[in-house]
Amino acid sequence: MVAAVGGERAWRLAPAFLGLGLAVLALGPALGWGFVLRYDLLFVPDPPLLPDTGGFPRAVPSDFVVALLSRVVPAEVVQKAFLVGIFVLAASGAAALVPPERRLARLVAAAFYAWNIYLAQRLMLGQWALLLGVAGLPWAVRATALPWPRLALALLPAAIGGFQAMLVSALTLLPIAALRSGTRVAPAEGGSRGASVLGVAGGAVTSPRGVFAVVGVLGVFSLPWLVPALASGAVTDPAGVDAFAARADGPFGVLGSLLSLGGIWTAEAGLPGQGEWWAATVRLLIVVVGVFGYARLRVGGDRPGWWRGLAVAAGAGFCVAGFGALAPGPLKWLIGLWPGFGPLRDGQVYLAPLVLLTAVGLGSVLRSGIPAVVGVLAPVLVLPTFAVGAFGRLAAVEYPREWREVQRIVNADPAPGALLSLPWGAHRAFAWNGGRVVLDPATKLFDRRVIWDDTLLVGLPDGGRLRVRGEDPLNRRAGDLLGRPDFAARLDVRYVLTVGTENRFPSGLTGWTTVFEGPDLVLLRR
Amino acid sequence: MVRILAALGIGALLAVGASVAVVNVASPVPTPANQPLYNYGTR
Repeated sequence: MVAAVGGERAWRLAPAFLGLGLAVLALGPALGWGFVLRYDLLFVPDPPLLPDTGGFPRAVPSDFVVALLSRVVPAEVVQKAFLVGIFVLAASGAAALVPPERRLARLVAAAFYAWNIYLAQRLMLGQWALLLGVAGLPWAVRATALPWPRLALALLPAAIGGFQAMLVSALTLLPIAALRSGTRVAPAEGGSRGASVLGVAGGAVTSPRGVFAVVGVLGVFSLPWLVPALASGAVTDPAGVDAFAARADGPFGVLGSLLSLGGIWTAEAGLPGQGEWWAATVRLLIVVVGVFGYARLRVGGDRPGWWRGLAVAAGAGFCVAGFGALAPGPLKWLIGLWPGFGPLRDGQVYLAPLVLLTAVGLGSVLRSGIPAVVGVLAPVLVLPTFAVGAFGRLAAVEYPREWREVQRIVNADPAPGALLSLPWGAHRAFAWNGGRVVLDPATKLFDRRVIWDDTLLVGLPDGGRLRVRGEDPLNRRAGDLLGRPDFAARLDVRYVLTVGTENRFPSGLTGWTTVFEGPDLVLLRR
Repeated sequence: MVRILAALGIGALLAVGASVAVVNVASPVPTPANQPLYNYGTR
């Protein structure tokens, strides 16, 4: 009896442990001591709690939560916890959408949802906050049939992640809430414990209370970024549609790439070998099998209450993903009309419900025996170069001491005034970070306003560059004023931080004192 | 029985493909050129 209970418990926890194992396999060297720095994946030591930022609140409230947790444990540990947590949450959540008696099928869904090209590409772009919401998505889907406190708990990862994570969650949960069948009903006739948890039942209609609960929780959890976004005066450059629209990352064109759950806008977020015909073909076939399995659930007796809503969300997400690539004109017009449409320009993000649908569908097709075992291993075999930190693309490094020194000097100074970060460009590629490109660390190190060039440069296949103008009005103004001798007074700049030898701030200007000079950093004060 | 054999065959094929992919990645590649300004990405 005891052994049986222990075995049951082990099977229940198996998806979480599978997620943990996949996290170790994928992150590999990134789990060593230090920070993983790549594109948007920017963590800094001792981050300020409430930094003075401008522009669209992209890192709200994720940066605040990181800063809060960093008061208790080192920021290095906080970053690792979030990264590992994404895999564990994703795997255990996808498994929770499969009836518990199908033990291997749960692992099939778990493995696919925690190891797929969508997650890999977004992680290569450093979008951990988005992935936090994507990882929590299956838990939120499951919680749409539960009382609102449970839904709020399930949406907590997305709430921490911020605007992208919440938008993906909204796209998924609203159709589910509106189209749910069997909401809040007793277990299905003859159903198991899992059936009751999954809301498996037929015949019941949508509950208005359920819809209000979803809308209410989504609305309240969006306030931390929605209010500052509306008050920020941030602008969105319609050129971002050309820059961030989905692209073909394999032999099957844009739509084929999206259907394979890839198609992210940047080649740098790709995994080595992902474009090979055999890998692309197998990825596409896996999604076809997953969609087939999901469709088959419709006629089975164990159709979950969220079945129709998730299908609608996946279809809508796919349409949004292809919007920028297939109809850039209307999207640019919309963004020109209102910057609030800006989040649609990187539409590939909204493939998340299709990823979840595929995972559940695979768990429906590969239910037991050898096929299910192959189904558990297949995601890793199809995308083997995601392992070991994507073969060097993710690794842990330590900030050189001069960064800490500069941070200490600036944050200890009570005098007001902004810090200007040079060279005038958003991204850096430090030798100490293995040449990996990362957002300028100065943007998150200081508790005063940092003026930086938030213009995004996107390389084009012909060697040209596409410029997507920054969103913060102050940064835009600073870019226009930089060449003028009175720029510091007009922008209220107290510090200038220069990195490297490029675009050095002209030395010897009256009124400026060098307060720190290191091998790579120079800090001037006015 | 047919399903099991098919699954084993597919698994073996995937394993071969994965091995080839890993060997290709593990091969030395030229160091990327140093650039003065860094793009957010390349399409």
